[in-house]
Amino acid sequence: MSLSPSSDSRSIRAARQARAALSRASRRAVVAAAVALGATFLMGNHAFAAPAVGQQAPDFVAVDTSGAKHKLSDFAGKFVVLEWTNPGCPFVRKHYNSGNMPATQKAATAQGVVWLSVNSTERAASDYLQPAALDAWMKSQKASPTAVLMDEDGVIGQAYGARTTPHIFIIDPKGMLVYAGGIDSIASARPDDIKSATNYVNQALGEAFGGKPISAASTRPYGCSVKYKS
Amino acid sequence: MPAAAQLSAKPGAVVTTPHVRAELVAHAPEGVAPGAPVWVGLQITHQPEWHTYWKNAGDSGLPTELNWTLPPGVAAGEIAWPVPRKIPVGTLANYGYEGTVLLPVPLEVSSTFKPPLALGTGASSMDIRLKATWLVCRKECIPEEGEFTLALPLQGSTALHKADFDATQAAQPQPLAKPGAVEVNGNKLQVRLEDLPAAAQGKTLGFFPETPELIRTAAESGKDWTQSWEGGTWTATLPLADQRSASPTTLPLVVALAEPDRQPGQPVAWRTEAPVSGTWPAAAAPRAEVSPALQAALAANAADAASAPASFTDLPPQPAGTFAVALLGALLGGLLLNLMPCVFPILAIKVLGFARQAGNRSAHRTAGLAYTGGVMLSFLALGGAMLALRAAGAQLGWGFQLQSPAVVAALAALFTLMGLNLVGVFEFGRAAPNSLCSAQARHPIANDFLSGVLAVVIASPCTAPFMGASLGFAIGLPATQAMLLFAALGLGLALPYLVAGFVPAIAKLLPKPGPWMGTLRRLLAFPMFATVAWLVWVLGQQSGIDGAGTLLALLVCMAAIVWALTLRGRTRLVIATVLVAFTAVLTAAIGRNVLQTVEPARMASAAGQRWQPWSADRVSELTGAGQPVFIDFTAAWCVTCQYNKKATLADAEVLADFDSKKVAMLRADWTRRDPAITAALTSLGRSGVPLYVLQAPGKPPVVLTEILRKDEVRAALAAL
Repeated sequence: MSLSPSSDSRSIRAARQARAALSRASRRAVVAAAVALGATFLMGNHAFAAPAVGQQAPDFVAVDTSGAKHKLSDFAGKFVVLEWTNPGCPFVRKHYNSGNMPATQKAATAQGVVWLSVNSTERAASDYLQPAALDAWMKSQKASPTAVLMDEDGVIGQAYGARTTPHIFIIDPKGMLVYAGGIDSIASARPDDIKSATNYVNQALGEAFGGKPISAASTRPYGCSVKYKS
Repeated sequence: MPAAAQLSAKPGAVVTTPHVRAELVAHAPEGVAPGAPVWVGLQITHQPEWHTYWKNAGDSGLPTELNWTLPPGVAAGEIAWPVPRKIPVGTLANYGYEGTVLLPVPLEVSSTFKPPLALGTGASSMDIRLKATWLVCRKECIPEEGEFTLALPLQGSTALHKADFDATQAAQPQPLAKPGAVEVNGNKLQVRLEDLPAAAQGKTLGFFPETPELIRTAAESGKDWTQSWEGGTWTATLPLADQRSASPTTLPLVVALAEPDRQPGQPVAWRTEAPVSGTWPAAAAPRAEVSPALQAALAANAADAASAPASFTDLPPQPAGTFAVALLGALLGGLLLNLMPCVFPILAIKVLGFARQAGNRSAHRTAGLAYTGGVMLSFLALGGAMLALRAAGAQLGWGFQLQSPAVVAALAALFTLMGLNLVGVFEFGRAAPNSLCSAQARHPIANDFLSGVLAVVIASPCTAPFMGASLGFAIGLPATQAMLLFAALGLGLALPYLVAGFVPAIAKLLPKPGPWMGTLRRLLAFPMFATVAWLVWVLGQQSGIDGAGTLLALLVCMAAIVWALTLRGRTRLVIATVLVAFTAVLTAAIGRNVLQTVEPARMASAAGQRWQPWSADRVSELTGAGQPVFIDFTAAWCVTCQYNKKATLADAEVLADFDSKKVAMLRADWTRRDPAITAALTSLGRSGVPLYVLQAPGKPPVVLTEILRKDEVRAALAAL
């Protein structure tokens, strides 16, 4: 008897949460479908013409893990880092478990850089994470990207020619691609190599903010293949 | 055989994981001695579907690494990589191995090598230690590693894995007699190899560059790249990677026969280190030199450009003395507005109105005054509203009211009603037949006033061609002067009717009333409906096909209701009720479509198209790179813009001139509100479209006339 009011309110709360989650999910699905449709239509046969360093970075609209929409061109005037990620990949885990990626993110965002982690893993992949799960994983790693974007259809990944996880792209305030490549200089899955490797992202951003040309602007990305939808 | 027993029994020579079985194997048929052939190697047997990688792993992956620990005097050579296989992964590709592969490494035993003393057994051996790391992938990837040890007998033959080593040796790429040549040509790599053996000639070869990050790995022969034979010479043209990070002067490469073409005992692949000629396409020296200080300066500039006109262009500053000229300009501009297609429907009504009241001079005078009042007051209201909104921070420009789908839809409805009225579906004033006298007395004035208002609302998007500069000037002026300019503009627009009303000689030129008026009236319905067609198209630009479709459906409903109201008695009640109810349901169901705003393109349009979307950054980037830029400031609701777009800017000769001068063509679409475009217009001293600007690097921008002529564009281009 005495329990009933609290259990009632609990069930009401649960129902409300479920409804909110449903509306979030459906909104995300609708937006994602629209984005994919629009992007597919517009990209068409240019699917493979990824930008080279020094060219204009393709604009995109994407939905993040919390359902919010982000448009690249809205960040004009700021440096934007795109980081392809997939927690199922050992190379991604190398840089997250060691704290390297979260530290790089934090250093960048502290300077006003917009950091967008992008997950282009297809839904059918064994290590695909739902937005909420991906978000939770990012939080558990103390990661601090500006947003984590869902790109299950691989539209953004294909537009940028992202091949590996991790694969890093840096876009300057004018929307030009100024860096494409790996997170650092030693291609391995060994966390021990991080300390002796050159962190290309820190280096490129440091040089850019210092007004210097980026010395290593195209490097070799290394890691797992992005698991694109076929 | 003691050696064999030792090899197979020795723990530590095999590492088994869920994905591979890896074994350290050796081949020393003549024992271990200086000069004797000694091979060791890691033999990897993959589980089905899993693979490890070649020295160039391709788009992802990592090559297998072998780290040896050997006794002094013994050195390990490089891995003699067997011919890899191209493994496609969706749109990407890797180079690697499936099934069983042996990665052999030659050991060089020098004369300084001191065999360890044999203790007891008499059969001395050499300890070989290997630490290997490999990445094994299916779709998912697992980095694995293993430590291996092997005691290789110094005397006697170690040949347990002879077959494996022999097979691997046979699958080794054979060196080519001539190095061949690689030429960089644009975004292609042209490869030429000579003196290939007859067995390979005419066959399709696989191409494996040892340098990573060079060509597009996933490119398929016959589809993305071509190859051809001329005797023993093989040539191929391969696409470079979009994000190439290597620019070697020598390219080590392997070409291989396809697996069905391979003959046992015959070479299957060839290797060469070809010199590279030609220049690698500039990796476009990244100049992200936007320091925070510069960025702040840029932001300040942008803010200035938004608040004050003519900040980055070389347009002369407007001296105060030009105000009178601007007023005159506004008056003339208003006059010329009467010739604009936007105003034509209004013109039609006015002509009809004058004809109806032929001979009635006082009526003419009143009508002229009422119309002038309507025009001037609406110009003042519109101008005032724009100034107020701009003061409040909204980025608006002339014609802004047509940027709202609601206004466009309302105008379409209004014009449909006017068209229906002219066709004769209904008459205004039917509702009050008894108050005929008073209606005749009052209605003309109200009608004339309202037609003046309508003229301004419709005409405003057309004002820019003649009034662009003057209006841009007005916006930068103090409010009172600006309002005076708007009033002058209105006076100009209304002037012909005012004059016609007061000067009888002009009114006399108009024909006498007669049956021709009925014909003219019906004829004039068509400009109205044409205007509706244009407005629906404008709405389609803003709200998409659904919005335009819904608007058309609602216009049909409205027409039906209007018709129903002209019926009499019960029929009128029933039909009108049904139609109103149906319209209400329809509006509730899909009415929202009209007011929705469809977002612009998701992905910026791809390069290679003639017109690129405009942005201020893109302009400075292009001119910074030394390229002249042509900017078309346009909007769907701007008829003049559409005319120019379809005529002059689609002309083959004009486009050829643009191409020959390598002019980048940018289009700034102002159909929807866009603060960036409004700011750019302001900075060029304008507040409306069309506006055509040709900007050469290091020169002031050339503003072309609003009604763009072919010879003018070509002359401007020739002057570049």
